[in-house]
Amino acid sequence: MNDAYAVELRDVVKQFGDVIAVNHVSLQIKDGEFFSLLGPSGCGKTTTLRMIAGFEMPTSGAIFIHGEQQGYRPPNKRPVNTVFQNYALFPHMTVAENIAFGMEMRQVPKDEIQRRVDEALAMVRLAGMGNRKPKQLSGGQQQRIALARALVNRPEVLLLDEPLGALDLKLRKAMQIELKALQEEVGITFIYVTHDQEEALTMSDRIAVMNNGVVHQVGDPESIYEHPADRFVADFIGETNFIPVRVVSLSPEIVVALDTGQQVVAGWAEEGLSVGDKAVLSIRPEKMDLLEPKEMPKSPSQQMAYVKGKVTHLVYVGADTRHTVVLGDGSEIVVRLQNSYIGEEPWEIGEETIVTWNAAHARILKE
Amino acid sequence: MSAPMPPPTTLEHARWERFKSKLGGWSLTTYGILAFAFLYLPIVILVIFSFNDSRSVSKWSGFTWAWYGKMFQDGQIMLSIWNSLFLAIVSTIIATVLGTLAALGLERYRFRGKTAVDSMFYLPVIIPDIAMAIMLLIFFNMSGIGFTPWKVNFFGARLAVPYSVIIGHVAFNTSFVAIVVRARLAQMDRTLEEAASDLYANAWQTFRRVTLPMLMPGIIGGALLAFTLSLDDFVITFFTSGAGFNTLPVRVFGMIKKGVTPKINAVSTLMLVVSLSLVVVSILISMRSGSEDSVTIGM
Ligand SMILES: Nc1ncnc2c1ncn2[C@@H]1O[C@H](COP(=O)(O)OP(=O)(O)OP(=O)(O)O)[C@@H](O)[C@H]1O
Ligand SMILES: [Mg+2]
Repeated sequence: MNDAYAVELRDVVKQFGDVIAVNHVSLQIKDGEFFSLLGPSGCGKTTTLRMIAGFEMPTSGAIFIHGEQQGYRPPNKRPVNTVFQNYALFPHMTVAENIAFGMEMRQVPKDEIQRRVDEALAMVRLAGMGNRKPKQLSGGQQQRIALARALVNRPEVLLLDEPLGALDLKLRKAMQIELKALQEEVGITFIYVTHDQEEALTMSDRIAVMNNGVVHQVGDPESIYEHPADRFVADFIGETNFIPVRVVSLSPEIVVALDTGQQVVAGWAEEGLSVGDKAVLSIRPEKMDLLEPKEMPKSPSQQMAYVKGKVTHLVYVGADTRHTVVLGDGSEIVVRLQNSYIGEEPWEIGEETIVTWNAAHARILKE
Repeated sequence: MSAPMPPPTTLEHARWERFKSKLGGWSLTTYGILAFAFLYLPIVILVIFSFNDSRSVSKWSGFTWAWYGKMFQDGQIMLSIWNSLFLAIVSTIIATVLGTLAALGLERYRFRGKTAVDSMFYLPVIIPDIAMAIMLLIFFNMSGIGFTPWKVNFFGARLAVPYSVIIGHVAFNTSFVAIVVRARLAQMDRTLEEAASDLYANAWQTFRRVTLPMLMPGIIGGALLAFTLSLDDFVITFFTSGAGFNTLPVRVFGMIKKGVTPKINAVSTLMLVVSLSLVVVSILISMRSGSEDSVTIGM
């Protein structure tokens, strides 16, 4: 072992016949990190995880675990353990036998196995359940046994493939907290596959957002949400408005023109755009505000954007209300306003309005 | 809007419904009884007349165990019983091993000509026994294997079982075992084996500790099926044994040519009891292996 990355993927490709499941993926996962692979169904998350575990061999590229290249090393020779989506508990063994399996294979002495099984059961708060068969347990309990069976081997890296996918929403939320706490407690590197962005955002130290076998962005939850690197990430994570624009200038300031011809300033532009290109202005609904036309400042600041529109739709969602506004060019945007204002007139459908946002929140992305 | 309004519930309507459901219930019951009678009455009659105190198999004249006594004293019958048992045990053991290996190979590996091999395993199940029997007969004649017997002392009985019969039984039983085990294997969750290898088990340990135990109900089911088929087989045994070798069904056939006596009923009843016991055992095993990973024992 050395102080290299816990897991490193270098330019890994995996092809199944014509399908390129994983396309030139490079990742560096730090020791002790809670790292998520997030992306829509079929984007190659499971395949990536299975290559790290050794169930699939990369078509090209290399995988390192703690600096050691894995090559064709089989799963039983790798210092990682997996928690499978369907748990894959051995139905013909008791819970205790399931947990003991890995240690038995590594010829850990019997009394130590016994002790560590008990510890593991206690850790997942299922002490005393050792003699049951897996099918005598609930989904959440089976999930915890799968976790215990993997963690009891003290792997250097734990791989989890949508481990909470089969649980109902409430249990899922509870398990998310439990799992995160457990990870912090044991300090093992977790590589966590999910297609649930909220799960990834709340649990992870860092997230890799994948689509079609390609990693689009790697970053901590805040930077993924606040600074999406491209249109796919902005679209996949949270809710975003995309307003069609044309690039007018990129320096010293980023200026784009809406379809109405109106020019607005933006805080950031994706690499590779040039003046004259068509692009989209991406901005989160909660980053915008609505003004009455008479509130429009006489000499607007360069840092604020103001766009005229008309309220066409209102949806009350508890903490806030989603206002759909149609702009002059016909494009629709959604503005979320908190329902905490006292004495303020709510907006009504058909009202003229001015949508405003801080230019720093607007990101110009390739179409 | 779309469904027509139901007519106002009238007394007649309710009566009509009641009549209809009664009629339905009545005819279904009758049909059921007739079907059961058709299937099981001959068996019941067969069993009853094995206890008949006369040579007649159609006129009842009192209860006796005599025919069973006669059956067990008949050296020919006893020899054929031992032959049947020996043949069933030996061919089942061989077929279970071969069939399980074949199932694993066909389900887990890809190789050239797999489709051909695959369909070959269904052949003995599909083609008529008689065709298979003749094929085997020609094969034994041409290959020079002939009807050389395996002389063996089996629980004190001196048996001479032709290798050809054993090979014949193994040939069809292997297919049945392979099909039953394969069904079980196809149902089995592959991730269980991956989980084992993830938990440091090598290929052999994975097979020994996970695959085989998970497969066991299928293997036992296949073995019981093979055993039953072997015990019951007539056509293939008859064609592949040459002269002088009798299993119980072949012996019964020989006796029938000289007329039906309650002794044949007794022998048939014995075979029935053994077959039924095997079915019960296989059901018990599949029940014990749990509802979630239940087994299809077949037949
Ligand atoms: N064994 C295989 N043979 C052929 N194609 C495969 C195989 N495994 C995966 N694929 C394909 O590779 C692509 C990526 O699959 P993968 O299972 O990695 O997706 P995923 O991101 O885990 O999706 P999900 O969220 O649905 O689990 C898919 O198009 C899939 O059809
Ligand atoms: Mg997956």
